[in-house]
Amino acid sequence: MLFSSIPFLYYFLPAVLLAYFAAPRRAKNAVLLLFSLLFYAWGEPKYIVFMVASILQGYCFGRLLEKYHADKRRSKLCLTASVLFSLLLLGYCKYADFFLESFNAVTGLSVPLLRVTLPIGISFYTFQILSYVVDVYRGTVRAQRNFINLAAYIAMFPQLIAGPIVRYADIEPQLTERRHSLRQAAAGAQRFVLGLAKKVLLANVLYQLITVYKQSSQPSVLFTWMYAVAYTLHIYFDFSGYSDMAIGLGQIFGFRFAENFNYPYISRSITEFWRRWHMSLGTWFRDYVYIPLGGNRVPAGRRFFNILVVWMLTGLWHGAAWNFVLWGLFFALLLLVEKAFLLGWLQNAGALSHVYTLLLVVLSFVIFDAGSIPEAFSRLGALFGAGGLPFATAETLYYLRSFAVVFAVAVIGATPLPARLAARLTDGGMGSRVMTVASPLVLAALLAVITAYLVDGSFNPFLYFRF
Amino acid sequence: MKTEKKDLVTLVVLGLFLLGFSLWALFKPADAASESERRALAQLPQFTAQSVLSGGFAQQFEDYATDQFPLREPFRRLKALTATRILRQRDNNGLYLREGYLSKLEYPMDLSSLDHVEERFSYLCQRYLREAGCSVYLCAIPDKNYFLAAAGGYPSLDYEAFVQELRRRTDGMQYIDVFDLLELEDYYRTDTHWRQEKLLDVAERLAAGMGTHLTGSYTVHTLEKPFYGVYYGQAALPVPPEELCYLTGGAIDTCTVYNYETGTYGPVYDRQKAEGRDPYEMFLSGPVSLLRLENPRNTSGRRLILFRDSFGSSIAPLLLEGYSSVTLVDIRYLASARLGDFIDFTGSDVLFLYSIPVLNNSETLK
Repeated sequence: MLFSSIPFLYYFLPAVLLAYFAAPRRAKNAVLLLFSLLFYAWGEPKYIVFMVASILQGYCFGRLLEKYHADKRRSKLCLTASVLFSLLLLGYCKYADFFLESFNAVTGLSVPLLRVTLPIGISFYTFQILSYVVDVYRGTVRAQRNFINLAAYIAMFPQLIAGPIVRYADIEPQLTERRHSLRQAAAGAQRFVLGLAKKVLLANVLYQLITVYKQSSQPSVLFTWMYAVAYTLHIYFDFSGYSDMAIGLGQIFGFRFAENFNYPYISRSITEFWRRWHMSLGTWFRDYVYIPLGGNRVPAGRRFFNILVVWMLTGLWHGAAWNFVLWGLFFALLLLVEKAFLLGWLQNAGALSHVYTLLLVVLSFVIFDAGSIPEAFSRLGALFGAGGLPFATAETLYYLRSFAVVFAVAVIGATPLPARLAARLTDGGMGSRVMTVASPLVLAALLAVITAYLVDGSFNPFLYFRF
Repeated sequence: MKTEKKDLVTLVVLGLFLLGFSLWALFKPADAASESERRALAQLPQFTAQSVLSGGFAQQFEDYATDQFPLREPFRRLKALTATRILRQRDNNGLYLREGYLSKLEYPMDLSSLDHVEERFSYLCQRYLREAGCSVYLCAIPDKNYFLAAAGGYPSLDYEAFVQELRRRTDGMQYIDVFDLLELEDYYRTDTHWRQEKLLDVAERLAAGMGTHLTGSYTVHTLEKPFYGVYYGQAALPVPPEELCYLTGGAIDTCTVYNYETGTYGPVYDRQKAEGRDPYEMFLSGPVSLLRLENPRNTSGRRLILFRDSFGSSIAPLLLEGYSSVTLVDIRYLASARLGDFIDFTGSDVLFLYSIPVLNNSETLK
């Protein structure tokens, strides 16, 4: 089920809110779990088996890891078994056909593909379970004894299908000791509506332009740039919008999820970009892959290898295709170059550092969105006029005019300016009084417009739905 | 207002909005169809173990919940206004409003579609027309974009190139050009079609091109019901209704219309359709695969076979005067291979009369 859908907003959400707040404190996690399972089973019920099996193994191995904490051999065996279970399941569901296709391409054989449909959210909940068992193994958290609490954490619908990747260590106390307050619920509701607006009114609208570009038989250099910028903005509003909705819903239910985006497009370097983009994934790879591989405390050659591994895996996490691997390695290369030569210069390069970062980010998302590596290079070439493309066509100019305001709103919305403006307005005086009255009305108006877009059946995919 | 009160107001306002529409959606009786969109609305799917396990129920329920949402029309209007007035997008769902006319973006020229047109027309000529000694004519009808798109900065077909390409692919047919006779006012503001009462000059040009002559005079009648065309519902933009007119007099008054699908005779103007979802379907009962108009006033025995789309429905009665019969064939609904079972083409005039949007999206021609 998508958050940005009528069934979620007007059927599921009111039902879960009523049930949750009507339930006694002790039953709240059970209510959350029940609705989360329903949320997950909606549309693809059979895949709930994978999730329940994953939760069960996470619970059992978590308990065993704690039991055998002093027995290194047994605890390592439990950890290995749990990690293998998670990775094999993820590998089977997400990567089997990718590896078979690659194998066939290299060997010339025709091993039949498995055609496994990727269960929604498997990348997110697998990473959460992995972090849980590893943390229990390391002794940084205690194993959860209450199965419902652990299942509610892993299956919790606000962050189940699109993150952020919530660490068990961060949420453990909240599973039993969280508080609900008017202020937190109102802040959560506001965050949810704003996230929904980012998704429906910006990401989906920008995707219309992307679709037009992909279907166009009149490509041009300018149109390709418009596409690339639109996709860069789309993916930000799509993903960060979903994260906002998840964080907002979490707040309503009394949880505090970690932030996942911090205005990544104002970064002055790729290094900074990755500190602001999908932060929960970046820190996950840092803590569970990069540091265990040795991190920075290894010789330069080994560090280089570690970085390549981490970014290749980051690419593959986003999708089982070679263009995602290329995308990850592209960032690995940039990060290495920045670390070796550029970071100091970029700190003092003013606007140039922003241009540099945005240009590379835009190029990276062209690779990300391509259906294949040749298509990625074809589009990258088109950005620079390869193939004798005209600079612009009548179609290009039409869509430039038609999406000018959307672009302007999206570009401004991707910066902290709107938040700063809102903060200034609410910071005392007349503006503050106006804002306190206007804010709820603006949110309701936004919700009405969002509903209007959903009722009109506008395009409504979600990119991270299959991660 | 204190922050706590503001929080309370936020929650109450949003909560009432969500819960109010939620309850309304739950208890609102389902509508069968959307008048403006001219389509049946999704209904509550059956809850069965199989449909739930296959995921079919979820998909169908989503369609149902979206289609049946309360205030569907005002919400669609709100979306259209947000897109065009606030976000300043130049079209909504591919439709744009210019000079008070709604039109649908139609570009670029699709050569594969013209390949299909060439193949289908060539098949008909070889299978039926060449041996039957028919005189074959072709006429392409411009859509409203011809008058609106390029001038308004909308992407547009190159109509001249399109017609040239069409003529190059149909060189056995005699082309009758009507572009110069048409202007924007000859089309409905909210619909794709042309207005029958504005087509007398076009009908005369076609008749003259095929060697007949029209002299009939007609009386203009206006439907009482306001007319909202097909683009009105699709665009969801605030556009006033218009009048739908039809002509009586001449051969129209005395002709009979035989419907091959039902095996019955009916009127030129279908009153039931005039009251239905698409009043333009009142012209020869709308999408019918095969019809024959018989004109008892013309005893020459001359016959016209009109291969046509929906534009043909309103002009065919005006062409009738020059013929003893006019047979209308819509190969979007009837396979070309079956035409020999119903039509004797011997010695007939044959006119291929198609609007350019249909020619540019010809995959429906069978």
